[in-house]
Amino acid sequence: MTRRAPSRRQVLLGGVAIAAASSLVRPARAASTYALNPFEVAGGVWMIEGAQESLDAANGGAICNIVLLETDAGAVIVDTGSTARFGAALRAFADQRLGGVAAVFNTHHHPDHWLGNQAFTDRPIKALADSKAAAEANGADYATALYAILGNWMTGTAPHPPAQAVAPGPVVIGGRALRLIGEAGHTGADLAILDEETGTLVAGDLLFLDRAPSLPDADIAAWKRALERLADLNPAGVVPGHGPLDRTGAALAQTRAYLEGFDDRMKRAVTRGLSPMEAILAGPMPEFAAMGANPEEYHRSVVQRWTEYESEALPVVGGA
Amino acid sequence: MWPLHREEYLGGPRDWQQDAAVLTLAPSAAEDAAHVPLIVDATGIEGQVRRIVVTIDYSPIPLVLTFHPGRALPLLGFGVKYETGSALRASVEREDGSWAMGATYVAAMGGGCTAPAAAHARPDWQERLGEIRARLWPDTGRLRVSLRHPMDTGLAPGIAAHHLTELELASGDGETIARLELHEPVEENPALTFLLPAALARRPVTITARDNLGYRFEGRVEAQS
Ligand SMILES: [Zn+2]
Repeated sequence: MTRRAPSRRQVLLGGVAIAAASSLVRPARAASTYALNPFEVAGGVWMIEGAQESLDAANGGAICNIVLLETDAGAVIVDTGSTARFGAALRAFADQRLGGVAAVFNTHHHPDHWLGNQAFTDRPIKALADSKAAAEANGADYATALYAILGNWMTGTAPHPPAQAVAPGPVVIGGRALRLIGEAGHTGADLAILDEETGTLVAGDLLFLDRAPSLPDADIAAWKRALERLADLNPAGVVPGHGPLDRTGAALAQTRAYLEGFDDRMKRAVTRGLSPMEAILAGPMPEFAAMGANPEEYHRSVVQRWTEYESEALPVVGGA
Repeated sequence: MWPLHREEYLGGPRDWQQDAAVLTLAPSAAEDAAHVPLIVDATGIEGQVRRIVVTIDYSPIPLVLTFHPGRALPLLGFGVKYETGSALRASVEREDGSWAMGATYVAAMGGGCTAPAAAHARPDWQERLGEIRARLWPDTGRLRVSLRHPMDTGLAPGIAAHHLTELELASGDGETIARLELHEPVEENPALTFLLPAALARRPVTITARDNLGYRFEGRVEAQS
């Protein structure tokens, strides 16, 4: 698949989605504050579960999962949410309960995962080099788009892309051994983190569970190869980028099945001469229709991925 | 807007009405304002269709295209650029001069018409300008055609208007099947769906197109199951 720099409007419109539904992280009614509900999923591994939805004012943009790993030097925080205010709430929890913040990692460059970085600019904020570059290139447009969707929730939010590029490999922070895993497929650079002590895999958006995957920057073939390698890790537990904690391998199986289902659906559509609108009207693959953020994620994905499928199916028959 | 557009683009016909038989299928919200996929289907209309005029109420350039289906069925799949949330209308003129109109509303966050074409971000876009991809399905009569073209509206700062103006389908003997007049709001690298009757779908079809700078593009597609 060829990749090119997205234009401003594609960033604005392709990188984020609009939808409405109920939420898991309940935004308090009166003021725009986040009621975080961190829970320990393994020894010293805390998870804050995002709403299994698209970005929307009703969920305050709190749609992705956040992980905090306790160390002797404070918490290692994986992803920081969509807004400065969410980042501040996260920081407050880490400061009060986990002895401060040792470091922050951003799993990839999509804005729901790192626009909360603002609360951590006095700490090292790390990501894979390509994620860092993509966040730098798109940050301003992402912020504009999220202001349009989230309104008040975004007040005071400015993009602070990760400042340090990290390489995959083992790393010890505050006595805690982590393995940084560099993959691609959901985006051009996807970081997953394995906590060696508990065998917990913090997967970022390489894995989704019960929430339709978003594919604005997807390379499905690469993504499926990444899933093979994640499966080989045999993690004791998995925190997907979106969706509940998984101890059964369901997130891997479901993400793979969704990608295969979508790929198959698109290939059939273009080889039968359908138009993207017809593929949209067909609706999501039935077995995935009830997932969070569907059908809107399916609709978005058809628009985002259509041309690359169709140009494979239509031979060149002429020109200038 | 609609009364004005009726006057300007349809010539102010007296005999017109909204008609549910003119299907205008579009997503309720634009995922990408530069590529809003649509289908206009007037196959349910009684009487021969002379032309279909597609307009967008609130667009800096309201006229999208005029489709003369000729010997093809009055159905067209295509994509448009949207600058703001607005109704899109398909006005169908029958042979007797009466009009039937179908409409749909698309919510959009904007930037579809005033943003530069994505092509300008690629170094090779001029080389492949006008490249035509197409496939014809004899059993279903479907013809899908895509053309590489920036479809610049002239509204993006510093980029002159450069867009397709005409596209014609002809049978092997050179006889016109269908004709399209294209305007600025048609999407970049437009991809079009036509429906041909079986007799035409089993034989080669030539595709010719022109743009406002005088470039001419041509291709030929043969039925392929
Ligand atoms: Zn995400």
